[in-house]
This record gives sequence, C-alpha cells and structure tokens, in this order.
Amino acid sequence: MQNVKRSAHTPKTQTLARLAKLNFLAFGIVITIFPFVWVALMGTHTRSEIFSSPPPFYIGDNFIDNYYKLLEIMPFWLVLWNSLFISVMGTIGAVFFCSLCAYGFFAFEFRGKNIIFTLMIASMMVPPALLLIPFFLTVQFLGILDTHFALWFPAIANAFGIFLVRQYMVTAISKDLLDAAKVDGASHLRIFLVIVLPLIKPVLATLGIVMFIGLWNNFLSPLIVLSSPDKFVLTLALRSVQSLGDSPWGAVMLGTFLSMLPLLIAFLFFSKQIMAGLTAGAVKG
Amino acid sequence: MASLQLSNLSKSFNQTKVLEGLNLMVPEGEFIALIGPSGCGKSTLLRIIAGLDEPTSGDVLLDGQWVNELSPRERKVAMVFQSYALYPHMTVFENIGFNLKISKIPRQEIRQRVTQTAAILDLEELLERKPSQLSGGQRQRVAMGRAIVRNPNLFLFDEPLSNLDAKLRVQMRDEIKKLHKAIKTTSIYVTHDQVEAMTLADRIVILNDGVIQQIGTPQQLYNTPVNPFVAGFIGSPSMNFLNGKWEDDHKTAIILKDGTKLPAPVPKSNTHFDASTQNDILIGMRPEHLHLRPAMSEDIQVKGVLDHIEPTGAQNYLKVRVDGQIITATDLQQSQLQSQQPIELAIAHKNLHFFANTAHE
Ligand SMILES: Nc1ncnc2c1ncn2[C@@H]1O[C@H](COP(=O)(O)OP(=O)(O)OP(=O)(O)O)[C@@H](O)[C@H]1O
Ligand SMILES: [Mg+2]
Repeated sequence: MQNVKRSAHTPKTQTLARLAKLNFLAFGIVITIFPFVWVALMGTHTRSEIFSSPPPFYIGDNFIDNYYKLLEIMPFWLVLWNSLFISVMGTIGAVFFCSLCAYGFFAFEFRGKNIIFTLMIASMMVPPALLLIPFFLTVQFLGILDTHFALWFPAIANAFGIFLVRQYMVTAISKDLLDAAKVDGASHLRIFLVIVLPLIKPVLATLGIVMFIGLWNNFLSPLIVLSSPDKFVLTLALRSVQSLGDSPWGAVMLGTFLSMLPLLIAFLFFSKQIMAGLTAGAVKG
Repeated sequence: MASLQLSNLSKSFNQTKVLEGLNLMVPEGEFIALIGPSGCGKSTLLRIIAGLDEPTSGDVLLDGQWVNELSPRERKVAMVFQSYALYPHMTVFENIGFNLKISKIPRQEIRQRVTQTAAILDLEELLERKPSQLSGGQRQRVAMGRAIVRNPNLFLFDEPLSNLDAKLRVQMRDEIKKLHKAIKTTSIYVTHDQVEAMTLADRIVILNDGVIQQIGTPQQLYNTPVNPFVAGFIGSPSMNFLNGKWEDDHKTAIILKDGTKLPAPVPKSNTHFDASTQNDILIGMRPEHLHLRPAMSEDIQVKGVLDHIEPTGAQNYLKVRVDGQIITATDLQQSQLQSQQPIELAIAHKNLHFFANTAHE
C-alpha cells in the first residue's frame, strides 16, 4: 500500500504533506506544554512583574525570593510529603486490593456474581459530587476527620480499578492456566501472586498511574476532610494561600510548578507501561 | 501410582446432562484411552477425575479412597491440558519445576529432576527459553514434562497431541508409549484419534453423549463391538451398515431390502445380539473384510454396482452401490475397474456383525 502511494505522489507534494503533519504535531505540543512553561516562568518573577504588560515571557531573577516566600506562607515540603504519602499509600493499596478483588470475580463462580459485578459497575455512574456529603458524614462518624487515613484508605477499593483489572485478566489469562496451576498444587493465594500478578503487570502500571494522578490532584475530599494546615495536601495548601487579598503569585506559581514535578518524573519513567496498559487488549481482541 | 474407580458418576451443567451413570475400574498401572466424538464429555470427565470440577452425583475413588472432596493437589494427579497451559512468564525450566518448587523439594533435587525430564523429552537446549519462543511441538513436550517430572498417582492427558502435525504426532505417540512402559503410572488418555487410542492403550473406553458405550481392549472393540456406534467408531474407513429383516419366524435367514438373503448370525461373534427380540436388523461389514472376488464356502456374496473409486496410494477404496446405499470396500489389488460396472464382493460369514436396529423406534 505504502509503496503504491509513494509512487503516486511526486516528492514535492510528499514533503509538503510531511511538513503539514509536523506543523500540526508541533502546534499540539506547544498548546499542551505552554501552561507548564508559563507556570514555571512565572515562578521566577515578582507579583508586579507578573501583572505587567506585556507579560514577562522570560526567566526572571526572583526565584530565590519566591522560594522563601513560599516556605513562609506554607510548610511546603511537609505539604508535599503529605500529598506524596497519601498518593503512594492509596496507589499501592488500590493496585493490590483491586487486583485481588478482580481475581475473585475472574477465577471463582459463585451465586450472584454477575449481579454484584453489575452493581459495582453501576456505582461508577454516580456523580462524585453527590457522594461528598455521605463521604463527609461517614468520615465524621468513623471519627477520622482531619486524618490522611480518611483520604487514602477509601480509595483502595474502587469500582473502576476492579473493573479495569478484571477485564484485562479476561483477555490476558486463560482459565486453563489457573487449572494447570491448581493441578500443580498451587493454592489460590499462590496462583494470584505467582501466576496472575506477573501476567497483568501492564494493567497494574496503568491503574497505578491513574490512581496516583487522581489522588495527587484530588482537591474536594481533602477540602472537606482536612482542617489543620500541617495536614494539608498540595492542592489544598496552594488554594488556601490564593484567598489572601494580596496573593504572592510568584511563590504560588513556583509551588504549583514544583508540585507538578513528581507526576512528570513518574510519567517519564512509566510512559511505556502506561501506553502498553491502555492499548492492551486492542490487539489481542 | 494408584487405581482409579468411578462409580455411578453423573454431571450436569444446569439442566444439561453431560455425563450419565459412568462406572469404570482402572487397575494400577493401566493405560486407558478415552475416545468419543466432540462434545461427548471427555474433558468434563477428566476434569472431574482431576478434581477441577465436582460431579453432580457419584463417586471418584483413588486407591479405594473416596476423593470427591479433595483438591487436585491432594489427589496428586498430573494433567496435560489440550491447550498446553504453560505459564507464559516462566522459563521452560521453571514451568517444569513449578510443582516441585511448590512441594518444597530441595533446589538441588529440582535441578536434577528437571534436567532428567528434559533429557527424556529432548528439551535440554530449551530450558532457559520462554514458552513464546518455542514451536508447537516443543510446547507440547514442555507440557508433558510438567506432568512426568512429578511422581503422580495418575496421569491425565487431554488430547495432548491434537495440535501437532502428523509426523510429530506419531513421534510423540511413541514417546508416550515408551514412557509408560518405563514408569507404569496409571493413565487416562483422552483423544478423538482412534489410531492413537488403539496403539497406546491397554483398554479403550468409548464415550458417546455422556454414556459409556463399551470398554475393552483394542481387539475386543474391533472384533466384537456391542452396538452400531462402537462398530462405526472403531476402524477406518468405518464399518458399512445394511438394513435387513428376518426372512420368517424361524429366524434362519435375513433378507435385505433388495432381496439378498444372508444366513443367520453365527452365535459366537454375536453374544450381545438377542436375535429373538428384534425384527429390524443392522448388518455390519468392515471395508477391509469385503473382498473383490466370487464367494467361496463360508462366504457371503454381496452384489452391487461400482459407483466410484477412491485411490489412497497403497489401496483403493471401492464405493459400491448396494441395496440403495453406498458401501465401501478395500481393494488391495488396485484392480482396473469401470464406473457403473457390476461388482461381486465376498465377506466371510464370521466377519459379519449383527445389531438390533433401534434407530427408528
Ligand atoms: N462449564 C460448562 N457449562 C455448561 N456446559 C458445559 C460446560 N463445560 C462443558 N459443557 C458442555 O458439556 C459437553 C461436554 O463438553 P466436553 O468439553 O467434556 O466435551 P469433549 O468430549 O471434551 O469435547 P472435545 O472433543 O470437543 O474436546 C458439551 O456439550 C459442552 O457444551
Ligand atoms: Mg475436550
């Protein structure tokens, strides 16, 4: 096909087409990256520079001042640690327990299995905003208001994760494999740990990233759960200083930029697995 | 090693009966082939014996012990799956050694036993490969290795050679035969290839629609099939059947629809045939017993018209129109014959099979 196409076009139109494609891609990249660069740049300017016209689209010299200002208005590194702790705990827990639960749905036949699974899927359709008040009341009832536990623990069991992992298992693991392991004498726990987990790594990476980003960016639940500033997470802390009449925008932008770094780094390391996980099943059918 | 006994075993999935009232006794060390058409319940039976499925009713006994509620692990059975079911993320070595590792056998011994097994199966060069880097035949051998590296009570093979090409299949068949001679573990071998069953098994169990049709040695099944199903299932090309009726109440002769008269069955070869109760009779003739020659004494003459010839190289199969249907006869001489020419076939009286025709009742 490609050869036929090539011979049908002159080299000139071909280069033009390629150029157009490259331009299009470059445009996409610029649009995507611009906000990040802009935030990073603003982190190096003072408040008055930021609001000057034209806006300063270059690296300023106020980086150090902004940094000290940032530490002054919030315990930045503590807050970053809080975010990291909640995100990591929630991610690890969710990846492990969602796959464990998915294994239950995948490997066992029991009465009411389909009904339970359907109910679980249906629960994903409830708008998150509707859940805020019940969530608050539950957390209050359990006496875990103003704790990090209330933020990462409920995230561990989530319908989306269970659904995602189970669907992946269905395409990636044949039932015969489980039976073979049973005949080989493996217990269910061992089958899960030694046979199933290694085979579903791509979807675990996907779920891990999705969970991590979700928990990292989560704003609403910390807002209603947390009250002491030393327990704040990044989203909350960065938002809370913006309500000041005279917001130190340079410092806020620096904090925002720093808070994006962990995600960027995680993505650099795991992008391959994420792609593999998101597109898996597409080829296997 | 253990003996296996199935008693009154039945299995239904919801309303569908898959196995019905199976009884089977397999003494220690015997090699049993289980054959039957697709969907007759062979895999289901094997899974019940392995402990992967539960029977709806009936008992499974290993060495006289009731094992219905034991897990596959406790039953100590080894099974080769039709789909191989190799662990994709483990090397050949780890695949073969998985059971030993679970059984907490010392590392040194695992290495030794896996290497030994690999030598038997000619897999030594491949031990560090993953299943995805193996050919179908090699995967097959790894699946076998995973079973024979153990010391199981029972081997269960579920159509282990069905995915191989003809040549490899014969080679692996010999390998299995050698292996069983050497280690003599009780084995149940599912196949729908009758040649495989005949060459490997001490006894063959024929299953149809979840019911055991006949159990016997290959010779017994070939020489004295108890019903038309077994008769048609064993032997290739399969047995010809003609419809007939008793000539009169004396039951001394059978008349075909076209008027050909056959003498009554020889009692010896038809112990299962109760001549007194049936009027509709099926007469079975194996193609290899029908000879292209005039009848001699002790022979029955079958007259027909040649429809066409199917050459296979070593012999020709003559398709002959007799009594309004086509029957097959083996012609070892590969005679030059014309289509539509009249044919005289002869079959020894002792090679005729008689069955009650229950089909249209
Ligand atoms: N889990 C199940 N639920 C419902 N019906 C089933 C189930 N497993 C098997 N069956 C049915 O039981 C019958 C026997 O199946 P089985 O797999 O034992 O056949 P088989 O003899 O092994 O066939 P083949 O030679 O094609 O492998 C089939 O009709 C099948 O549809
Ligand atoms: Mg089968």
